[in-house]
Amino acid sequence: MFIEFSWLIPLIPLLCFVIIGFFGTKMHEGGGYLAIAGAAVSTLIAVLVSYEYWTSAAFASGVPYVASMEWFAFTSTTGSFVMNVGVYIDSLACMMMLFSSFISLLIFIYSVGYMSHEGNKKRRYYAEVSLFLSGMLGLVVSSNFLEMFIFWEIMGLCSYLLIGFWSFKHPEGDAASINAASAAKKAFLVTRLGDVSLMGGLFVLLYAFQSLDYTVLFDVNNIAAVDSNMIALAMLLVFGGVIGKSAQFPLHDWLPDAMAGPTTVSALIHAATMVKAGVYLTARAFPLFVQVEYVMLFVAVIGGVTAFIAATMALNNMNIKKVLAFSTLSQLGYMILGLGAGGYVMAIGIKHGDPALIAAGAAGYVAACLHMMNHAFFKALLFLGSGSVIHAVGTEDMRQMGGLAKHMPITSKTMLIGSLSIAGFPLLSGFWSKDLILESVMDAFTEPVGWVFVILWTLAVITALMTAFYMFRMWYMTFHGEEGHAAKHCHGESPRTMTLPLMILSVFAAASGLLILFGFGDTVCIGFDGTKFIVGNGHGHDAMYYLEHIFTNVYTYVTILLALLGIYVAYLMYNKKTLNPGRFNKEGQSFIYRLFANRWWFPEFYDQLSLKLGYGTACGVDFIDKQIIDGTVNGLSSSVVGGGEVLSRAQTGNLHSYAGVVVGGTIILAVIAVALFYFMGGI
Amino acid sequence: MITDMFGSFAPMMPMVIMIIGALVMPALYFITKSRRLLPAASLVVIAASAIMTFLMLEAGYTGTYGSLFTFDAFSGLMLLLFQTVVFLAVLISGSSIETTRMHVGAYYSLLLGATTGMMFVATASDLIAIFVGVEVVSISSYALVAMKRNDPRAAEAAVKYVIIGGLSTALTVYGISLLYGVTGSTNLMDIGAALATAQFSWAFVIAMITMIAGYGFKIAAVPFHMWAPDVYEGAATPVSLFLATGSKKMGLVVFFKIFLILFVVAQTAFATAEIQYVFAIIAAITMTVGNVVAITQTNIKRMLAYSSIAQAGYIMIVLAVMNEYALTGGLFHMFTHVFMKGGAFIVVAALINVGLGERISDYKGLAKRAPLIAFAMMLFLFSLAGIPPLAGFTSKFVLFSAAIYDPATGVMSQWVWLAFIAILNSAISLYYYTKVVKTMYIDKPKDDAEKIQIPKTFMAAMVLCLVFVIVLGVYPQLILDLCANAAAAFF
Repeated sequence: MFIEFSWLIPLIPLLCFVIIGFFGTKMHEGGGYLAIAGAAVSTLIAVLVSYEYWTSAAFASGVPYVASMEWFAFTSTTGSFVMNVGVYIDSLACMMMLFSSFISLLIFIYSVGYMSHEGNKKRRYYAEVSLFLSGMLGLVVSSNFLEMFIFWEIMGLCSYLLIGFWSFKHPEGDAASINAASAAKKAFLVTRLGDVSLMGGLFVLLYAFQSLDYTVLFDVNNIAAVDSNMIALAMLLVFGGVIGKSAQFPLHDWLPDAMAGPTTVSALIHAATMVKAGVYLTARAFPLFVQVEYVMLFVAVIGGVTAFIAATMALNNMNIKKVLAFSTLSQLGYMILGLGAGGYVMAIGIKHGDPALIAAGAAGYVAACLHMMNHAFFKALLFLGSGSVIHAVGTEDMRQMGGLAKHMPITSKTMLIGSLSIAGFPLLSGFWSKDLILESVMDAFTEPVGWVFVILWTLAVITALMTAFYMFRMWYMTFHGEEGHAAKHCHGESPRTMTLPLMILSVFAAASGLLILFGFGDTVCIGFDGTKFIVGNGHGHDAMYYLEHIFTNVYTYVTILLALLGIYVAYLMYNKKTLNPGRFNKEGQSFIYRLFANRWWFPEFYDQLSLKLGYGTACGVDFIDKQIIDGTVNGLSSSVVGGGEVLSRAQTGNLHSYAGVVVGGTIILAVIAVALFYFMGGI
Repeated sequence: MITDMFGSFAPMMPMVIMIIGALVMPALYFITKSRRLLPAASLVVIAASAIMTFLMLEAGYTGTYGSLFTFDAFSGLMLLLFQTVVFLAVLISGSSIETTRMHVGAYYSLLLGATTGMMFVATASDLIAIFVGVEVVSISSYALVAMKRNDPRAAEAAVKYVIIGGLSTALTVYGISLLYGVTGSTNLMDIGAALATAQFSWAFVIAMITMIAGYGFKIAAVPFHMWAPDVYEGAATPVSLFLATGSKKMGLVVFFKIFLILFVVAQTAFATAEIQYVFAIIAAITMTVGNVVAITQTNIKRMLAYSSIAQAGYIMIVLAVMNEYALTGGLFHMFTHVFMKGGAFIVVAALINVGLGERISDYKGLAKRAPLIAFAMMLFLFSLAGIPPLAGFTSKFVLFSAAIYDPATGVMSQWVWLAFIAILNSAISLYYYTKVVKTMYIDKPKDDAEKIQIPKTFMAAMVLCLVFVIVLGVYPQLILDLCANAAAAFF
């Protein structure tokens, strides 16, 4: 009875966007309360829909709830393409819409306190975040790839607007404004690069399946009818979109710069929306991804490399938000790695018809989905916590903080929970999902090219150590040690609208991972019984399986020890100060230090590339257009046609060249045509 | 039925109304001396012609006038397109300072006359009719460009336009005469029938090349695009709008008529594959050059001119693919292009009217000074770039997917590479469109900048385009069925 109304979930925030956009200036808090109400209603409907789906017969038999109608069709006398619009509700969609809408709701509530000084710019802010949420929820419930792509692009557009929010007047001055503007443009254009690839992938899928509906594309019979190379091509292109949106290597560079937006926007992008869309897409298209194992291998390698590289960049960064941004990159890498490794095992299982391998692969899917949810909670908590700190001290530089624990007890404690969770402290949520991802990578050791996974596993374990270190480096530098310059002017603890969401989130950040012991693995999972893909009931593992798997594995204890070691080293360096970090990096002069601090020189590389290659090419073509073609053709025309000469004498000199183009262009065309006739045997 | 009243003249009625309008305008100005009456009277004429066309189209009317003109679902749809274009142009001409100081009688007469020429081309079924229609449009447009007095750029543009137009006319006449020599007819269907049994001859190839080159100027396909930026920049902005969205579409219609009928409908026995490749290469080069050169432009009218060149490149995909789906997509994109490019030119014209320059840097902080105009411009540009859910995305999606796959045959099209070049080009184009959006929304306005008010007619035209850009994006079926019918009537 509620599930029929699931289309309302994205529609309500969209409606809020329109209302706030038009009337926001006349409303309280620039429409902030309406945005909160919209998110709350969406959350409520998401809860009701999820409850209804999870208690329905459809879930029990492992099929999704689908309702769609024709959007547009382009027909001819011989056939037609039909594009639908509708909803596709399964366990994955339920999980996504639950945490996206709920976390967004908390972030909106927090915004009332955080954005209180923005005056009449609030209208724009609340309108845009509502549209942003609508984009994410629409993407989650979409019933086909085209619909998904539209919401995907709406989100890209909103992120452009929101990251550039402070471009008119950044609280930190003009330089920061320009920075915000260029960061916004970078985010938009870099993710668009991925979108082009995604759109190409959709076209290939449309060609291969003559439809973009999930129900058609995930049907085993339809998949079997399509050439697997075609699917491989399509999925590699689709994954290109994921690389852009979820900021994977080598298109990861926009995300740290996107910190120029308000912290609430960062929280929204990193925790509940935007970057999760890419991971969601990979999980959503899992039945297609697992058709070709080397695509999954590629996915896993990208994920592992991103996790490692991003973590190194966080090691010595001094900006509290940047550290969190790099950690998001790194954690997204974990999720993609989990999906890739699980998918690889599953792909081999499907190829050989081995149910054990398929089940083992499904565990990677479960782990990645669990990590996505857990990460949403603890990253939202950490970003909102850092926002609370920035709100109080007015800077993002951790060297100017320190000793804030006594001024801001709630922020300090909630952030400690978030840090412990992301570091993988035993029994907190990050521990469960991260460990399951590592397990699923280990499952791939015995498969063909297992050595790749050995390397990826090693990188992932080192990343776990680094994660624990940089998170606690951040926590100690911010809340302990001597009071820095800015900490002395601290306003004290943030208002209740900001601390309340922090406290709520800290409960989830600590405990959401425990869901794996309460049926998560049975609910959000994927199975394959030889005739169809089953998302949901009955084809995952129960709690005992996971408990046994985790605690009988000796490597689990290795990772726990490494996490504790990371925390301890951070404690020695930044709290007790008995260990001088300068000893290891020649006081910031060593190559490794500079490598990390300069983000492996990726930004410079891309700047040069776009400047030299992109703008350079454009100028070059412009030059050729104006000078060389004209010039050559000038010569051509005067030698070929006397008329060109006569014209030029009669009219302006410039015209001469224009008339020359007529002749030259026709000659070029003739040469091309004759060549084609010659080579294609038309003669 | 309404067409019964006019006997054998019925297929010509939309044109007849337009011609009467074109002839009456100078007299009307002579009698009333009212500069405000003429645009209103023109709008009435256009509306009458459009309603007539719409009623005929709705009734499913088809008819021929001699062997020269045919009214069917295709030509009816194209008539509506040209009527929409001239409607928008006239709507903003009434209050644009660029056009109100001209000889208004001649100006509106020429606009309606040029539109009549386009309508002749849309209904033509004979090369001579096409040729005459194109010349009517060309000669009227030379005068329209030159009419913006006191601006040396306009004079220069007009001279270039005349000379290059003359050359292209010479080329097309040459092509037509060769084709007549090979086939013994100027009627398209007869030519097709003759070619179906003819043998390969170089005369035919030369005829094709000269016709592609000659009409290539009309759509500003690379390398015949040089005149377009100069002319669009030099002309009064309503005229630029008319040329960029109307005259260019007419060129495309000519290409559809000549090449699709000769090669697909008449099933010419030879040369089809080669000509398809020629068009594919021209399309790829046209869209790439248009988009890449647009990046470095600092004048908004020149930038829009290059973007028009690129858009023509996208639509030329139809000529490479040569099937019904592609034509459906191409027609759909031609319609959405009218509203998004037309909308952008309307905004430019409106801002010139209030004294803002044509340079992109003049648009700094426009979002603060005129929020609605900046918002509309942003949507027009994003639609041109193909961002969903705007009209430009949907039409590009339909058009490009035709290059990937043909459901009629169930085989992957050989033009997949062309579709990918087109997708890559959309990504490039986003760069320069975003630059304008950034200038409007992010750069600071000058300190003395005030709020901007634009005349009501501009606002009406802009809102009209905006509504269509959004509605056609969300509800494409509104026009898609008409396009599919038109394409079906064509083949």
